[in-house]
Parts: sequence; structure tokens; C-alpha cells
Amino acid sequence: MTATQCGVFHESYGSDLQLRPTTMQRIRIVLVLAVVVILPLVANNYLIRISNSIIIAAIGAIGLNILVGYTGQISLGQGAFLAVGAYSSALLTTYYDIPWPIAVVLASFITAGIGMMFGIPSLRLKGLYLAVATLAAQQIVQWVLNNWDPIDGLQDGRATNALRIPDPKIFGYQLNQDEKAFYVFGVLILIAVVIVTVNLFRTHVGRAFIAIRDQDIAAEVMGVNIFRYKLLAFATSSFFVGLAGALLAQHSTAISWERFTIEISIQYLAMIIIGGLGTISGSIYGAIFITVLPELLREMGDFLTKSEVLNADDFRLYLPFIQRGAFGVAIVITLILEPEGIVKMWRDIKNYFRLWPFSY
Amino acid sequence: MKKRLFVIVLVLVTLLTGTSLNSGRIGLAQEGEPIKIGAVFDLSGATGDVGTPYSVGVVGYVDWVNANGGVEGRPIELVSQDYAYDVATAENLYVQFVEEGVVAFMGWGTGDTEALRGRVAEDQIPFMSASYSAALNDPAGEAPYNFLVGTTYSDQLVIMLQYMLDEWVADDNDPADMKVVFFHNDSPFGTSPLEDGEAFAVENGIETMRIAMPRGATSYEAELTRADEFGVTHIIVQNVSTPAALLVSEAADFGLLEDIEFGCLNWCADEILIELAGEDAEGVLGALPFGPTTVEVPGQEIPSAWLDENDMTLEEATLHFTQGWWTMAVMVEGIRLTLAAGQELTGENIKANLESITEFDTGGITAPITFTPDDHRGNRSLTIFSVEDGVWTAASDVIDLRTEE
Repeated sequence: MTATQCGVFHESYGSDLQLRPTTMQRIRIVLVLAVVVILPLVANNYLIRISNSIIIAAIGAIGLNILVGYTGQISLGQGAFLAVGAYSSALLTTYYDIPWPIAVVLASFITAGIGMMFGIPSLRLKGLYLAVATLAAQQIVQWVLNNWDPIDGLQDGRATNALRIPDPKIFGYQLNQDEKAFYVFGVLILIAVVIVTVNLFRTHVGRAFIAIRDQDIAAEVMGVNIFRYKLLAFATSSFFVGLAGALLAQHSTAISWERFTIEISIQYLAMIIIGGLGTISGSIYGAIFITVLPELLREMGDFLTKSEVLNADDFRLYLPFIQRGAFGVAIVITLILEPEGIVKMWRDIKNYFRLWPFSY
Repeated sequence: MKKRLFVIVLVLVTLLTGTSLNSGRIGLAQEGEPIKIGAVFDLSGATGDVGTPYSVGVVGYVDWVNANGGVEGRPIELVSQDYAYDVATAENLYVQFVEEGVVAFMGWGTGDTEALRGRVAEDQIPFMSASYSAALNDPAGEAPYNFLVGTTYSDQLVIMLQYMLDEWVADDNDPADMKVVFFHNDSPFGTSPLEDGEAFAVENGIETMRIAMPRGATSYEAELTRADEFGVTHIIVQNVSTPAALLVSEAADFGLLEDIEFGCLNWCADEILIELAGEDAEGVLGALPFGPTTVEVPGQEIPSAWLDENDMTLEEATLHFTQGWWTMAVMVEGIRLTLAAGQELTGENIKANLESITEFDTGGITAPITFTPDDHRGNRSLTIFSVEDGVWTAASDVIDLRTEE
């Protein structure tokens, strides 16, 4: 299990740049990929659907982590940026007949632009003040979704606020119906996003982001153009969030503003805090945790009611509230056990086995 | 120590998931293969106040049918969950339940019903919800598997406007002086009937204005001021009871209520409104596709007997209970017809049989339900009620848009 880099010597720049220099690390990644490949072969539609939700959430969380975890700019506008991505891709396919894969890419760029616009206040605002400024993005976008005619109620001239998405097809598979096809497509995108972002933080741009997070004045003294890099961070982050939003739209048959509320923004923040701020893998762990936990609680609640242990009608009525409470409790416990997130827990487990059986 | 604790938690979670996934679904041990019907209810979300009695109605009907020999000898197994008014959760649950082999589905809100209609059509699952958005009546196009038991919001609004207009003209007023403000929930549910209402208003020379009711607001003073400045003569609310009651009370404090007519579409015209708004609710009009519990019709008897057995009363259960009960009854009627005709229980066959339902009698709770292949609106008629001495009382005869056309 151990993948210690102790005793690994690099003899060329090429080997120094490797992401996974040790055999153990490579075996681990192969194992992960094996699970990813085997899952659709054994799981039912429902589990694959949950996996797809995780994939979308993971891309969005990685995007948010670039901004919050790596650059240190708090954002409460995640829901808004997801909405921009989702609605852009939907409107581009609906009104301009643009093929959906191109629409998804365009939507990501549009979201990057809008994100950059809402990033402008970050020059003057920090911390909670910036959070409030991004909250404005959330409110403005939500208002537009509710009141702008092309989005609101203009479908076939009939009153409906849910925007119907034209069916996205790829090689004859319909992505919003065929969960397996979406899974394959989603996994490939997620892998690409992970590779891009991991490498982003090995470039001067990524390091500038981290420098701004750690101490912005010091970064400026070192020659980092703070405004430029902050805007760049907003753009990069929003690009991936927009991508997640566009995928969300293509995965659904219809979208409405109700999916992009402030609660979603907070949920994404919870993902990256629980998963681990400033780590890519943490974003993925967080996405898994937040997506799976409610489902898990539901299954457990179901199990309890059906196992006749707790079959009282009263219990049935209170169950939803117990589940919601349990969701909060689970998050609090996780954070108390490990404030640095799931990433740290995983690291601790690795360390435990590394020293096993001779712990200090 | 901390690490060990974590490992233990991890193992426990894995075990629990494993067991629950494998054994979470235990079939009912009754004679005849159970008929699985899926359902999502809002018990803990934004519309939980009315969603809970509705869910009791649906569950109650299933319980009653099963206790009375089932459907053609087969019991119904209702696979249901709370979805907290969250569209994404509803979609997940829908996929999960379809995976488990449900043949029909009971939804709830406009958001989730509109989001699911494409999937429902693809999977051929007959779908009924408590959302009466007119956009869902599209048998030839987007929503071939959606059925609406209640009068659509659009029809409700038009009937309400028609009634208000008739009264207004009867009092020697000019229709051009009629100014109607639509206070609506800021969501697809709230805005869905407004365009049809506005079209009716334009035809009849009535001026209208939309005012959104922000979610979770504790005061509507700003909104009422806007309505007052507009010169409002009639207010129609498309929202659930709790915010509507607040609006009624504030309009009374504002001094508006004396001069204007106040009307509620079905989701706020209920007992909860009277309970919360008290005296202020007097005279409020309601478009009620499902008759309130105070109306004595045969359709109240069986549900009320079932409630007695389960230590509840019709008064506590509210009209949303009977609404859930009879919606489920219509769905089950489609299933019964399919089984009675000796057909295989597929979504396609259930749909065809639902479309053959003519004048299904809900014991006077609603106007008789008729579906055709071209029209999935169960009826287009209702009675306008008004609150008299704290009780919903019929204020008009049945107003039927089908005969008027």
C-alpha cells in the first residue's frame, strides 16, 4: 500500500516531472481505473445515475476549488455559474441549433466570461466581503432566469419555466436517457479535467494562484499581477463550473432555476471543505460524500422502516426530518474528526499502513 | 486512536450500505403478484405543509384497496420517498423506482413533473402529479404519459377571472376599471397559469400585473404597496397556504382587504389558510377543483371511514388528503381497467386504458374525470367557493370551460 518516494532518485528532468513516480502509485491508479471501468458492467441504472451525478459534481467542485481552495477567493456564486453553463448550452442548442458538444464548450467559455465579470470586485474585496459580492451574482442570475423571456415561459408559446433540452446524441446513444453512455462520456471528461488542473498547479499560473492565497501582498512584491491572476482564477474556475453546468443540462431532459439556488452554492462549498481545500482529489472525495450521503441515509431509512424494527407510522412521518438532521450531523462529525477533509483521512490511512506494524 | 475510530466507522458504513442495498426492498407477502407504483412526496420541503396530507391520502387509498381485495386480486405496493421538493432528488428517485419495476408513478410539484416528463415518455410510465400546470397537458407532443386529475391552473385562473368579472359587471362596474394583480410563487408552479390568465384579461379588457412572492418572506408590505399604487381591485394568489395566509393578513392590516376581492387558486384555498389567517380569511374566494372537507358528498365517506380507523379526522386531514386519495384512485382505475381487460400490465396499456376513462365518478369531490387520447385534462370545470364563518362554502354553480367553448 505504501507509495513512499523515499529512495526514489530522478536522473532526468523528465522523470522529475512524472506525476506518479513510484510503482505503487501506478498500481493504485490502475486499481482506481479498474473500478471505474468495472462499475457500469455490474451496477444498475440507479447506481450509474448516482455516479453520473458524482462526476458532474466533481467537475464543478474542482472548478470551485481552483477559486476557493487554491486562490483563496471565497465564492457563493457557484449555483449561478452552474446555471450560466447549463442555460447557455441549452439555449445554444435550442435556439441556434448548435450541435451539443460545441454548445457545451461554448457554454464553458461563456461562463468563464461571466465569472470573470463577477470577479472584478475581488480586486478590492476579500474574504467575507467578496463572498457577499458573489452572492449578488447568485441573486442576479436567479432573477434573470426567472424573468428573462427567452428562458422563461417561451416554450412553444406556452407557460412553462422548465427549459426542455434537445436530446443530446453521440454515436447513436442518447445521453439524457442512457446512463451508461453518459457515464463513459463523463468519466473521460472528468479524467481530462483532472489532468489539466493537476498540471495547472505545476505551472507559473497555478503557483501564482497559490501565492495569492497564501499572502497576496508578498505575491505582489514578487511580481505577481494580482488583479490579472485573480481574474484568471475566476475565469478558470468558472470555465470548469460552466462545464459541469452544461453537462448537468445535457444529462437532464429539462432544467429549471430550482436546481441552481443558493443552497447548491453552499452544497458545493461543503463538498470542497469536507473533501479538502486546495486539493484535486479532495474535490472528488467531497463530491462523492455529499452526493452519496443523502442516498445512503435514504436507503438506511428505508431499511429501518421495512425491517419491521421501526414500523410505526409516526416514525415514517419523522423519517425525512431525521434524515436531514443526520445529513448535518454526518458533516459535523466528519469535520470534527478531520478538519482538513477526507483527503487528510486518506493520507492518514496511507501513513498508518506505511508504518505498520511498527507505529511510533 | 482517531485513525482506528475512522477505520471502524468506514467498516460500519460499508456493512450498512451493503446490507441495506441488498435487503432494503422486501416485497409484500400477499396473494397475487404486487403491482408496484412509485411515488415522491414532499414531506420536509418547501411545500411540506400541503404535501404531507396529500401523501397520507395516496398511502391511505393504497391501504384501503389492499384491505379490500386489491386490484383484481393483486395488492398494490407503493414505493415512496420524501424528496423535499428537490428536482434532482426526484429524478434520482424516479430512476431508482423505475429500476425496481414500477408501472406507474405519482409525482408532486410542477418543477419535478416538468423535468421528468421527457424521461416518463421514454420509459412509458403513466405519471400523475399534484401539479396542474397546463403545459403538462400535451398528449401529442412533450408529455404523452402525463395525466392531470385536477383542473389545470390555467383553467382555474380563467374560471376565477370569469367569476370575478361576472360579479364586477353585475355590480354595474366597467370591465376596463378592473385591475387584477397576480401574486405568485416565484417558481414554475407560480408562473405557469399567468400567461393564460393574461390572455383572458386582454380579451376582456382587464388590466393585470404580476407580483412575485419571494420565498421565505416574512412581510409582503412592499409587494402590497406596489399593488395599491397600481390601483388593484382584485388579487389572485397562486401560491401555497402559508405565504398566502400571511398575504391575506397583511392586506387586511394594510386596509386593502375591505375594498378588493381576494381569490386563491387551489393550493392556497384550503383549511390551512382559514386556520392561519383567521377572521381575515372571511370572504376570500377559492378555485377548488377538489371539494373541501366541509362539503357533504359521497366521495368523503370511504376516505373518512379509513381516517376513523387510523385515528384521524377529515377535519385534521384537510382537503389535500382527499385530493391525494382520489388522484390515486384515478390512477388505480387505469390499472384496474388494464387488468380487467386481460392485458399485460405495461405503461403503454395503462395509458391506453386511462385514455378510455369517461366520466369517472369521484363521488362529487371533483367534476367527473374524462381522459381522451387528445386531452389529458381530467376536467375543465370547478365550483368557486368562499370563506363564510370560517368554512369554505360554495359561492357559484359549477363553471365548465368545456361547455363554454
